[in-house]
Formats: sequence, C-alpha cells, structure tokens
Amino acid sequence: MKRTFIALFSLLILASLVLTACGPKTTPTPEPVATEAPSEEPVATEAPAEPAAVEKTVVVGFTASLTGKYEVSSTRQTNGLKLWMDQVNAAGGVKLADGTVITFESKFYDDESSTDRVQELYTKLATEDNADFLISPYSSGLTAAAAVIAEQYGKVMITTGAASDSVYKQGYTLVYQAYTPSSRYLTGAVDALANADPDAKKIAIVYENAKFSTGVVEAMKAYAESKGYEIVLFEGYDKDTTDFNPIINKVANAQPDAVMGGGHFQDGSAFAKQLYEKNIESIKFVALLVAPPEPTFAELGDAAVGVVGPSQWEPLAAYTPDFGPTSVEFEDAYKAAYGEEPSYHSAGGYVAGLILQKAIETAGSLDTDALIAALDAMDMTTFYGDIQFDTSEELHGLQIGHSMVYIQWQKDADGNLVKQVIWPLGGATAELIYPIR
Amino acid sequence: MKKWLNPGLWITLLITVAIGIWPIITQEAAKREVIFTVLMAIVFASSLNILLGYTGYVSFGHVVFFGLGGYVGMYLIKEYEASIWLAALAGGIAAGLLAFLLGKAILKLRGAYFALVTIGVNEAMRAFVNNFQPFGGPIGLELNFKVYKPYGGPADALWMVYYATFALAILVAVLSYAVKQSKFGLSLMAIREDEDAAEVMGVVPHNAKTWAFILSAILPGVVGVLFFFKNGNIEPAGAFRLHYSIENLVMVMLGGQGTVLGPVLGAFGYQRLRGFLVTNPIFKNIQLSIAGGLLLLIVLFIPAGAVGWLRNRFPRLRRVLS
Repeated sequence: MKRTFIALFSLLILASLVLTACGPKTTPTPEPVATEAPSEEPVATEAPAEPAAVEKTVVVGFTASLTGKYEVSSTRQTNGLKLWMDQVNAAGGVKLADGTVITFESKFYDDESSTDRVQELYTKLATEDNADFLISPYSSGLTAAAAVIAEQYGKVMITTGAASDSVYKQGYTLVYQAYTPSSRYLTGAVDALANADPDAKKIAIVYENAKFSTGVVEAMKAYAESKGYEIVLFEGYDKDTTDFNPIINKVANAQPDAVMGGGHFQDGSAFAKQLYEKNIESIKFVALLVAPPEPTFAELGDAAVGVVGPSQWEPLAAYTPDFGPTSVEFEDAYKAAYGEEPSYHSAGGYVAGLILQKAIETAGSLDTDALIAALDAMDMTTFYGDIQFDTSEELHGLQIGHSMVYIQWQKDADGNLVKQVIWPLGGATAELIYPIR
Repeated sequence: MKKWLNPGLWITLLITVAIGIWPIITQEAAKREVIFTVLMAIVFASSLNILLGYTGYVSFGHVVFFGLGGYVGMYLIKEYEASIWLAALAGGIAAGLLAFLLGKAILKLRGAYFALVTIGVNEAMRAFVNNFQPFGGPIGLELNFKVYKPYGGPADALWMVYYATFALAILVAVLSYAVKQSKFGLSLMAIREDEDAAEVMGVVPHNAKTWAFILSAILPGVVGVLFFFKNGNIEPAGAFRLHYSIENLVMVMLGGQGTVLGPVLGAFGYQRLRGFLVTNPIFKNIQLSIAGGLLLLIVLFIPAGAVGWLRNRFPRLRRVLS
C-alpha cells in the first residue's frame, strides 16, 4: 500500500515538474515586428531586376469558446474565419507595396465561454505568441475584456460576434466592429411595421433579462417612442423561463398591434410557440431576437409562420460585393468545407478576416498607424453588406455601414416553411405577410 | 512571539513569494497574467479555507462575496471616480457586511443545509443585481479606457493590480496562520470536530462561526474589485459564477483543507494545470476532461490533499508544515 502511495506521489511530483517545464517559456520574447522592412534583404552581388518576394506569415490570434454556452455560435464563427484564411493563403496571400507577400496563420485557445481567462489568453497571444492582429472572442462580455488587452499592447482587433454598443464607448482606438451594433438590431423591425401599417401604434416588448437583449430592446424602445409608438408593455423575463403564460396574459390585456423582443434561442422559440397558442387577436406583427434566423426555428411549424427576426446576414440577401466573394460563393465554399449551411456567425467570422485583408491591402504595409488609417477610411461592400466604422472619438470603431436584414418565416406554394427577406425593401425576396393571422 | 518563528508560516510565505515574484523578475506580461490568476485563487482559496478547513462549513456560494465586492468597487470607480484603493476597501467592507448579515441568519444551519443555502444566496444576489439598475442591471458596468490613466496608463495599471494582488496573497497567508494559531482558531477547530461538545467547553459557536464567515469573505471581496477593475467590465453572469466557487473548493481540498500551506499549493497546482491544458496544442480541445480525470484520481487516492497526506505520511513534517 505504502509503495503505491510513494509511486503515486512521485508520479505527481514528476507530472508537476513536466507541467512547469512545459509552461510558458522563459525565453525573452522579441518585440513584434510591425513593419517588415525589405531593407533586411542581403544586398546581392548580382543586383536583382525586381525585389525578391519576401514571405511573411502574419499571426492572427483569438480565443474561441470550444466549451461552454457559446460553443455552437463560436465554432461557426471560427469556421468562417478559418475558411477566409485558407482561401487567402491558397490564393497566394496578400502582396504589400514593397513586394512582401503576407500569408496568415491562426493561433487560438479555448476561453470556456467565460471571462476568467480571456485576459490571460489574449496577453499570451499578444506577447508570447506575437500575434500581429487579434480577432475578438464570441459575445460582447468576453470581447470587452479582450479589448483592454488589445488596446494595451497596441494590436488592431476586429470584433465579430460582439454586438453590444458599449465596448465602443470606452475610448478604444484599435477596436473595430464587424457586427451591426445591438442598438440597431430591432429598429428596422419598427420601420418595417411602420411601412406595412401606419395605423399600428401599440407595441408590447417582452425580452430576456440579459446583457445583449436588454441593450437591444432599450434602444428599440427609445426609437419606437420617437416614431410615435406607444409601448404598452415592457416586460423582462429571467433567462431560464420556460412558461410564458403569465407574461402572455399581460400581453393579451395590453392588446398590442405588435410584439417585439426575445432573447436567445430556447426562450425565444418557447415564447413564439406559446404566444401562437394563445391566439391573441390584436397581434398583427411579431419580431423576435436571435431565434428566428436559425434554420431549426422551422420546427415550430405553424407557430413559426409570420415571425420576423433580425439577422446579421442571410444567404438570400444579395449584395453586390466590391471586395471578396459573393454570397453564393461564400455559401458554397462553406458547405464544401464544413458540410453545413453557414449561419450569420460564420459570415461574421469570414468578414472579420476580409476586413483585415482589405485594411492590409489598402495600407500596403503592416504598420499599425497605416492600418488604422485604412480601417478608419474603409467603406466597402462585401457579401455580408456594407462595412464602415465610426471615426469619432466617442464611438470609435462602431460599425455604421452594415445594417441588419429582417427575415420572416412564410409558407411557399407547397406549404413548406421558408425564410424570406422582408426588410430592407432593397434586398427583399418576398413581401411581408401582414397581419400575420 | 514564538509562534511567529514557526517554519509552518515561513514555508508558506516563502512559497507564496516564490510564486508571486517570478513575473516581477522577468517583467513579462504574459507570465504576470498567468500568475495573477494563481494569486487570485490563493487569496480566494485561503479565505475559503478559514471556513471550510478550520470550521468545517462548506460554502458553495462563496463567489457571492467576490461578485458583490467587485460590483461595489466598480460602481464607485465608474460613478464617483473613486481610486482603486478606496474601491477595493469598499468592496471588502461590503463583502464583510454581507457575511455578517448572512452569518447571523444562516449559520445556525449545519452541514448540507448550510451548503445549500449558500448556493441560494449566490443565486438570489445574481437575480437581485440583474434587476438593480444602479449596477447596470443585466448589462453590467463598463469602465472607460481612460480610467487607467491616473495610474500611469493601462500597462502600469495592470502591473499595479498585480502587485496589490501579490500583497493580498501574502496577507492572506499571514491571516490564515494567525487564525490557526489563535484561541479563536482553536474554537473554530473545536466546532469542526464537534459543535455541541465545543459549546459545552465554553465556545459560542454562532459568534465564532460568524466571525470566521466574515474573515473568509473580506479578501475575496477585495480581490473581486481588483479583478474586475483589470477586466474593465462586470456583468451578473460573470460576477456570480457558481463554477468559480466550486473550483476553489477543489483547490482547497487538493492542497489540504485546514492547513495554511494547502490552499496555496492547491491554487497553484490547479490553476497551472488548467492554464497548461488550455494552451497546450495536444490537450486544448479536451482540457476539461483531462482536468476532471486528474482531479478524480487525486481525490480518490489522496483525499486529505497534498499537505494533509504529507503530514500523515511523514509525522515529522507536522512540525514544519502547518
């Protein structure tokens, strides 16, 4: 018995020694080289006619939620980013003004969907791994923690999967947002309602009491009120709510023309289903966060019909890109690579890479100041939509070019449930069904 | 006087200093972040040990003090532009106050009932903050980047937070030792062994337990302020994460509950193991399973924790390991 203990203990000691040895290396980390000057090239005796193509691999660092509650969305985002990287590298990389050819390499760690280690991991990425650029984690909370590190080490960070506005009000200068900010998530639904029925005036707002959804509905409420709408109900629910009947009774009493709000997938779907079962006569329009754009929302059957949802990107929305692939090209490549339909998270990951690529191409160098200038001046259209950033001091980096598309579940001629883009009208693939019943 | 010369204290201090001084010598930011996580766990686990190890009460929801302290501190920094030191102090006081009120109310409970109630308290606090507008409700609080300016910019501010956490880790080791050597500590251990017998011997269990609870709450409250200040934002889900309390329970048990050195070793071992697995190219995709498996093995074979096992195995070590 004793012997086993001794053996076990020595094994433990050994393991801990190995762990310490494998820990962060103590070798001094060289300063990240921001500009790769070609002057380093050996002066050849036989002067070359053109500068030899210097290859440089740029490290793009980020954390992904491989475990925890953001796993699905984060994995899709990472897949999108990887697809971009593979395509760019396969196409030979990006050529700089001085002839250097840039290829990309990713470096990422699991953040476990929790803020605990985000700063530790981003600091490691920025210093030990010498990441040249950073991409944000998934979700606004994790991104807020990562942004501090990006700013501190002077690394440009493209955020994706992080819609909250507040990150861009903190005085950062190197953080750029790919998503439409949450303050504009549901304002388009209000516009769509106004367009469909100028007489509808009463909106009930039912939302999940969480960071993201509260930010969305507060901005939407202010917007709706400024447009003359009356908010007849403003009701938050806890994140794990499954029985919405008490809330739906309040909705029924308020007799709204429209119901808006929602939260995440589970609660949003359950709410839509129970609202449908209650069959409240006055409701002519339902717009909910997050759940409707997911393909699995169709499993609700008739309850899904007519529900409107905001999406960062839909394959149907046909923008004419002036940079990067078209929607169809992206969709096909994504399906070929991962065997599933891309979601807007995937598109968000891909477009974060595109933004980086475009900035490097425009700047013609990897110099941070030149890249900031390129990003500040960026105004491009991709398959994902327009990309432009706020350059004011108070809101620097906030996405102002991109806007949401709104889908509605409708029945096609055969009675199958299909998603149709109904807003903005420019990209609409079908007319809004109004009233829904 | 003699008790301050005990090697048990000095070995613990030496190990804590050895852990904390490493990034200061190399001046590497990445190492600082890694050790910051460890030091934070040392403060939290050693504090928890006063309740869990000395008094024998399991507090699952101990993270409530970390979260509340963090919130109070962040609120003062954001709304009143308080300095980090004042905010940290306020965070500690708020956590201590909550522990006092809770202690009066729930420390009459014993065993599993107490453990369950602490979970409930944490959930209740999360729900409360989620609906409490001055703390930002579900959106939480975010600090403007310029908040780090008075401390010499973000880089210096992060170092400063590190030094402060390092100091706290040393303080908690001294505190933990002082409690263990005191009469008060003896009464706690008497409660742990047999609460009724302790009462007969003249210990007032309810008072002693309340003080132990308060002592174990203050420093997690302070370190909460430091962590969220460094993080730049706080939100309910992150501040009251039950998972973090449970991890800290594991650290205490891993190192050896009821010992001064145990939580320090446990925190270091556990956090370094997790940190290593999470960044290792081979293990990073299955890191949680590996960590879980290793913990299972350790708990199965060394239930008294590393220090407890050493003390049992080599009785002579009892003089030097406390």
